[in-house]
Amino acid sequence: MRPRVAVLSGFGINCELETMAVFRMAGAEADRIHLNRLVRGEKKLSDYQIMAIPGGFSFGDHLGSGRLLGNRLRFGLREQVREFVTSGKPVIGICNGFQVLVKMGLLPGDEDVSLSQTASLALNDSGQYENRWTTLEFDHDSPCIWTSGMDRIRVPVRHGEGKFVTNDNSLMDKWAKSGQLVARYVDPSKQYPSASDEILPYPISPNQSWRNVAGVCDPTGLVFGIMPHPEANHSTWLGATWTREKKEQGEGEGMQIFHNAIKYVS
Amino acid sequence: MPTTQRTTLFEVTTKELAGLTDSRGERTRSMLSADYGIDVDSVRVILGYQVRAEISDTEASSLVYDLFADPVIEHGSWEYRLLEKFKHPPTVAIQVGYKPGVTDNSGQAGLDGLMTLFPALTSASVSTSRTYAFWGVPPEVSPEQLAVALYNPMIERSSVSGPSDCSKGHWPDLEFSERPSVEFQNPATVDLEVSDEDLIRISQDGLLALNLEEMRAIQSHYRDMSVRASRKKNGLTPNRPTDAELECLAQTWSEHCSHKIFASKIRHVDIQTGEESVIDSLFRTHIMQPTLDIQKEVDWLLSIFHDNSGVISWNDKWSVCIKAETHNSPSALDPFGGAITGIVGVNRDILGTGLGARPIANTDVFCFGPPDYSGSIPEGLFHPSRVFRGVHSGVRSGGNESGIPTVNGSIVFDERFIGKPLVFCGTIGIMPRRLPDGRESHIKTPQPGDVVYMVGGRVGSDGIHGATFSSLELTEESPSSAVQIGDPITQKKMLDMIIEARDAGLIQVITDNGAGGLSSSVGEMAELTGGADLDLSKVPLKQEGLSSWEILVSESQERMTVGVRPSDSEDFEALAELHEVEATAVGIFTDTGDFFVRYGEIPVAQLPISFLHDGCPQLSLDSEWIPPVHDPISTSELSPEGMGAVLQRLMSRPNIASKEWWVRSYDHEVIAQSVIKPFCGANSDAPSDAAVIAPIHGGTQGLVVSNGISPRYSDIDSYAMAAASVDEALRNAVCVGVDLDMIAGLDNFCWPDPVESEKTPDGRYKLAQLVRANRALDDVCRAYRLPCISGKDSMKNDATIGGEKISVPPTLLFSLLGNHIDVRKAVSSDFKNPGDLIFLIGQTHQELGASEISYMLRDEGVGGIGGEVPQIDTDRNMTSYRAISSAMKKGLIQSAHDCSDGGLAVALAESCFGSNSGAKVEISPIYSDSNGLDVWGALFGESLGRILVSVRPSERESFEAEMAGSTCHYLGQVSDDDPILVTMRGESVMISSMSTLRESWKGTLHGGGKV
Repeated sequence: MRPRVAVLSGFGINCELETMAVFRMAGAEADRIHLNRLVRGEKKLSDYQIMAIPGGFSFGDHLGSGRLLGNRLRFGLREQVREFVTSGKPVIGICNGFQVLVKMGLLPGDEDVSLSQTASLALNDSGQYENRWTTLEFDHDSPCIWTSGMDRIRVPVRHGEGKFVTNDNSLMDKWAKSGQLVARYVDPSKQYPSASDEILPYPISPNQSWRNVAGVCDPTGLVFGIMPHPEANHSTWLGATWTREKKEQGEGEGMQIFHNAIKYVS
Repeated sequence: MPTTQRTTLFEVTTKELAGLTDSRGERTRSMLSADYGIDVDSVRVILGYQVRAEISDTEASSLVYDLFADPVIEHGSWEYRLLEKFKHPPTVAIQVGYKPGVTDNSGQAGLDGLMTLFPALTSASVSTSRTYAFWGVPPEVSPEQLAVALYNPMIERSSVSGPSDCSKGHWPDLEFSERPSVEFQNPATVDLEVSDEDLIRISQDGLLALNLEEMRAIQSHYRDMSVRASRKKNGLTPNRPTDAELECLAQTWSEHCSHKIFASKIRHVDIQTGEESVIDSLFRTHIMQPTLDIQKEVDWLLSIFHDNSGVISWNDKWSVCIKAETHNSPSALDPFGGAITGIVGVNRDILGTGLGARPIANTDVFCFGPPDYSGSIPEGLFHPSRVFRGVHSGVRSGGNESGIPTVNGSIVFDERFIGKPLVFCGTIGIMPRRLPDGRESHIKTPQPGDVVYMVGGRVGSDGIHGATFSSLELTEESPSSAVQIGDPITQKKMLDMIIEARDAGLIQVITDNGAGGLSSSVGEMAELTGGADLDLSKVPLKQEGLSSWEILVSESQERMTVGVRPSDSEDFEALAELHEVEATAVGIFTDTGDFFVRYGEIPVAQLPISFLHDGCPQLSLDSEWIPPVHDPISTSELSPEGMGAVLQRLMSRPNIASKEWWVRSYDHEVIAQSVIKPFCGANSDAPSDAAVIAPIHGGTQGLVVSNGISPRYSDIDSYAMAAASVDEALRNAVCVGVDLDMIAGLDNFCWPDPVESEKTPDGRYKLAQLVRANRALDDVCRAYRLPCISGKDSMKNDATIGGEKISVPPTLLFSLLGNHIDVRKAVSSDFKNPGDLIFLIGQTHQELGASEISYMLRDEGVGGIGGEVPQIDTDRNMTSYRAISSAMKKGLIQSAHDCSDGGLAVALAESCFGSNSGAKVEISPIYSDSNGLDVWGALFGESLGRILVSVRPSERESFEAEMAGSTCHYLGQVSDDDPILVTMRGESVMISSMSTLRESWKGTLHGGGKV
């Protein structure tokens, strides 16, 4: 049976169609589920093997990106979400979805799934929203099931608040050690692996994230959040410089992330 | 603990952590430097949320970090002002908040968040502000000067603490922004049995924008005995209109809604040729007729002109539609609010097409005064750089927050746009050809008895008189009630809900509430069934007390009007509730022949549908063409380096300079469909000609979106202006590989008032310009088989400020939506490899009239803009375009870039930027195109129909074989180094450097200040 993916929608989430599309391309069934259907019990998260919180502008990013949707989940769906995560099912949050996961405390998270916020995504140092392509590198030693076996992909960032920070530097060391700082911005002209802690110049690091972090996972590697949009590179002809590359046209570099999750739950 | 309603100020600012900056403050600092030349040491921004609610201290304390402040990176407070907590007190502190009644989206979101935590607080309200704290303010800059740069008195309030206040701890302190109460006015009637002077006065005093003849038509309607009898029966004053009726007629008959000038009878005289003719409706003659004729030749024109946007059949499964509108007057008064309202408004046109289409791409074109303008700005207007920043910011918020990519656009600068900026917002939509229930989605299916629902936002006193206001010129007295701020999130929730309702088969008919509000939306749809009965007492309001006529015409945003079968009402309302969208039954469609409006039991209006929609008398206007005279362009002989320097100056002209800093902040890739993006090339910084999107995920069929606009050619001849706009749009589309057998267009005319009057003594000339532009549109669209499927006009783009009249140059924006057969064959504008061969397709003539170089030289004090303006040869162009299209399908073209502003030299430089390389070209081949060409004409002339392409050396023969029959000149090669070298018969005529040019090109419009 094809795995079922719950793709959340509503309140300004706006990448749900392409997020459903990439899961379908990767062989899953994807349902769009309005958050209120879960809150009212019309749908149950437990009927799904994977949950995705797509990108968007939930509540217009007012009061901080992801904040209000995070609160709706934290206060309205607390037990359903905890149960989903503790039962070992993968969760992905992309862009605004990542911001939601961080603000509700699911990422970088802790063993107890206590849902308390320990990191944040601050305004880009550029002071504004930007859409530009970046190169990401993944940590092979990370427990993250979403990125396993992956080296690098090219993906667009489309955010104004993507600077990963925390108020406790020792946490950064802890997360680094446990492989939770799984996705980082790198200079594409450097050979793999080149991820470094020193903040790379703008715009290689589009937001001046600490340690160039672009995405993190929880200690189990099942919950994964990422600022750039892997679903936006589902086909080669969506690349930033594809007209300059002599390549067979087909699946894009972002798809492996979704294949990995489908493989994990199959 | 018992609590009472109280007002609490919560404040939030960025924590001082190593490695964390206050980006809001930093952005304010750099904006002040870039736009005002004010350099302060540092700025901090504090966000304020005033909450009026019944909350206890404990609850207030929990709200700080549960709702308002981020516990990791922000400081929050509720018991003290954060201004007190800085190590050194600020020099100046300025608090800015909205005026009462202005839409406060952050406040609304805050309230929603508050209700998540405390669902019982149903009567709470939230109002927001920002406090700017400054350190190191130069002594010559007063606190008031800073405030002027930070707030717009039209919609905002400010409270300022100067240095002495700050040193004493006297902080700015705005009160809670309470929506003003309004006084309910009983429905009144207006006596029209008065003199002609009094009829005019009634129109003027009521901001009705109706002329004498129109007022008389209304007067005679109420003299009709059968009308009087019917009114009497229904309890309305028989012989006079109610205020609501007069307002409703004024909205429906406004220039904005009924396009009276395009529908007028024009006596046209051409002094040059001696022609005297009569044109009965420019719209029917030159826009509709060509499309109807083309409709006989193609099978993909589904819905043209009558709906909110034109619809074409893209393939068996999907149809697509496009619409663009302007939001010029509101953007002049409040650039942010005007622009965001414009973009979310045009999105609703798409949502209101057929049974509801999904918006999938935006295209925005702006015309502003020069951002570096140093002359005086008339009282009441903003500096162009502020208009630019505000409009950009509004369109960015509107597009990004709605999840609709801005895929393409353009920005044009000219001093005459200081009076009124032009803000064109366009949207492309998609819908299934058929719905699950078998209905074709582009056809509305209302029946008498269907319930009229108002869906989305509530009605308030904001946005009263927008349609009539935009049909008047801009003056100091222009009303602030005409300005609104769009709310993308309310609209996004509504959009999600409507699309679900559509797919569930719940929608019979739908349209948006834009200009004219319910009077227009219900009035228009009532035409389909033959009547409607609307009850204003059911309409949900933002504030109690609105009068009937105000509810009827208010243009409060984010509302759709939907017709639903009574049997589907329950499902429709349940869906609305799920999405947290307000949907209220406010009436029913009927077939009585009347648009009947009531407030509960009180009759408010009874307007026969036929009178409402066909009763407006046709205007009769005069037009007279006398060609204008200009000083000729003056060029001199320069060294190759001198010509290089000319090109460098040209590259830095705002019209040509890179807009990347601005465009990067639009999301152009959401929906994961953008194949050709706004930028291309090795560094993703070279400009693309047109957008290509592949909206079906995984599919390879695409859509092409492009624009053409060249207002300055109107200075010489508006025929050439319109022809150039259409050609530019098509040329751009050809550059990316459009399917020439499925291209559709949109015409958006923005004109100065072309009706001769005391205020407009040159009305006949401006009308003749309109006639000529329409004739060009007709000629070129027929020749290119490019039907206009929708369009819009805005005919009062004048501003009279301080006695001085500023009129925009007559402007046609032509937008194109075309098919792309296989996006994997799409071509970008950047050169690909050193050694590739460079060709120029199309003929070059000595056409420097009204060119960008002519304006540059004139601005530098040399000569005028006179000369030949580019002429169009549609047969020649179409032959080349077909050849290019065929070569692209075979993969023979590596890059293609359109030659427009700045001509061949600019196109060449831009293609080089994309490959990080220079080029060597020899221009003598193009001299065979015409006599009289000189090096200025060859390099900077803007002859139409020209595309610069590059080709692999190995494919030269096949390429040239494809191009047989077209003018195709081999010019040279892409090099692997920096110089761009141009020779004429081997002699150097221009030497330049790609990297130097790129620096100039990128430096001008860098919005973050110094690069």
